[in-house]
Amino acid sequence: MYRDLIRLDRFPTKWCPGCGIGQILIQLSKSMDQLGLDHTNSTIITGIGCTGRLSGYVNIDTVYTLHGRTLPMAEAIKTVNPNLKVIVVSGDGDLASIGGNHLIHAARRNADITVICNNNQIYGLTGGQAGPTTPLGTRTVSTPAGAQRNPINLQNLIKCAAKYSYARTTSYHQIHMQKCIREAIEWPGFAFVEIISQCIENNGRRIGFNSAWEMLQLYKRTYKRAPRGKDSLEPDEIGIIRQG
Amino acid sequence: MKKLINGNEATFLGAVKAGATFFAGYPITPSSEILIQAAELNAKNPNFKFIQSEDELAAANAVIGASLAGAKAFTATSGPGFSLMQETIGYGHQLEVPAVYINVMRVGPATGMPTRPSQHDILQTKYGSSGDYFPLVFYPNSVEECYRYAIVAFNAAEESRSPVIFLSDAFLSHLTEVVDLDAIAVDIVPRTMPPLGSAKRTFTGLTHNEDLSPRTADTGAFIRWHEKIKARHEEVAARYAHFEFTGNKKSDTLLIAYGITSRVIAPLKTDYAIFRPIRIFPFLSEELKRCAKNFEHIVVVEANDGQYAMLVESELKRDVIRIPLLGGKISLETVKQDLRKKLGREVN
Repeated sequence: MYRDLIRLDRFPTKWCPGCGIGQILIQLSKSMDQLGLDHTNSTIITGIGCTGRLSGYVNIDTVYTLHGRTLPMAEAIKTVNPNLKVIVVSGDGDLASIGGNHLIHAARRNADITVICNNNQIYGLTGGQAGPTTPLGTRTVSTPAGAQRNPINLQNLIKCAAKYSYARTTSYHQIHMQKCIREAIEWPGFAFVEIISQCIENNGRRIGFNSAWEMLQLYKRTYKRAPRGKDSLEPDEIGIIRQG
Repeated sequence: MKKLINGNEATFLGAVKAGATFFAGYPITPSSEILIQAAELNAKNPNFKFIQSEDELAAANAVIGASLAGAKAFTATSGPGFSLMQETIGYGHQLEVPAVYINVMRVGPATGMPTRPSQHDILQTKYGSSGDYFPLVFYPNSVEECYRYAIVAFNAAEESRSPVIFLSDAFLSHLTEVVDLDAIAVDIVPRTMPPLGSAKRTFTGLTHNEDLSPRTADTGAFIRWHEKIKARHEEVAARYAHFEFTGNKKSDTLLIAYGITSRVIAPLKTDYAIFRPIRIFPFLSEELKRCAKNFEHIVVVEANDGQYAMLVESELKRDVIRIPLLGGKISLETVKQDLRKKLGREVN
């Protein structure tokens, strides 16, 4: 049962009501359960930030790393024990900003690890500062006049590597998210899953959303499944692209 | 079998002898031969794992990850890289993960003088990361000792369940000597911590309880952790109270020097007593007090501007004479000149 993978004894979680990370925890647990992963054959490595706290709620050996350092640690663990499935779960700030150099090189080396990136487009835990993925024009506590710089394009960054698996999904598309996570874990090499998700308390409310439900409805309206066989996703598409 | 090898080579061979099976590193002078040897060993024996990291942040964290996964793991760097590794060394103490960080010191700060030796990073080994932690730090002074203390560093890391710092320098690392490695017998402390994939633990850099559950606002949990770690490090350090004291009945002056500097001033032992700490931290307080009590003058000779001298003054609660050897020149003649000036008497 996927519930066996979740540490219910540590509930309630630290996350705000309406946060998208809980949905990632559920779908990750379901994917792991389907693949027969448990404390004997897998480990989860998380970074700093709201998403990083996920490691404390999973019933296997997990490591809550320093800010930005999930990937070198995960790659080393896989190098020492290739039989372990090594899954990184972290936020966009941790992976793409402070850990950005590691992301480029772990992808380049095609490290056999799965990276699940909770992209809520904000530094949530520290109170809602703009991050590397914050869309142009978004008002945050550190961009009072709206973000003036273009966000990083995670798909293109991952595609710089010769071999990769890149998936985009959202916290609204739960079944699709589960499929993306499952297939990323099964992928023999570097697999990156970008999950667009809502941070209602430290982002959504400042930019005009009244509830997490409204943010999920936006994802439902915005994102469409990409047709099979594409080698690149449009900004409003969810799907998986690979080069093996 | 006798071998002609340098300090970096002996350090690497000592690490392998200690059971190390993982190295991650980023090239930096004057430590790079250690990385190169790791790459060569990996090419010959795939059971020895090697990652050439994208930077020192990655290398430092890869070492912690590899250790958690069950390997005895180490990295080697020099001043600028060692500075980048500081956060991770503190993290290793918070997580209680054994690992060895080798710092082959050169002249700093910043890029400084990459090929010239210094002892600039003494205080950084203990005070470089945030918070209170109690690292064991060793600094040998010969090629033979590089081998021996690399093994000791890994043993101490296992016993203290924390990162241990092994210091070397641009001089010692490239000093070539004949060594009989087989004659150096040090028992190996085996790994006892179960590797990742064997339990349901949350390894976290957050303050945590004994059961590893995060306690981010719990003073009691912090103090319990702090006292446990402090006591363990004191206990392990007591097993490694390594120093060398060369008495001299006709001298009223004790010279204190460590690492390569102690080697350079060794000829002065005919006229002076010499105290050489090998375990740099925790500071050899009682040992030094015992050795120093009958001397009128205490002189600290070191290749930095008084880092160890400051600790000696604080521990002995008396003034010491400082002889700093700066800018990469560690010469006996400079020491003699400075001694002459500061003691106000002739020096042979």
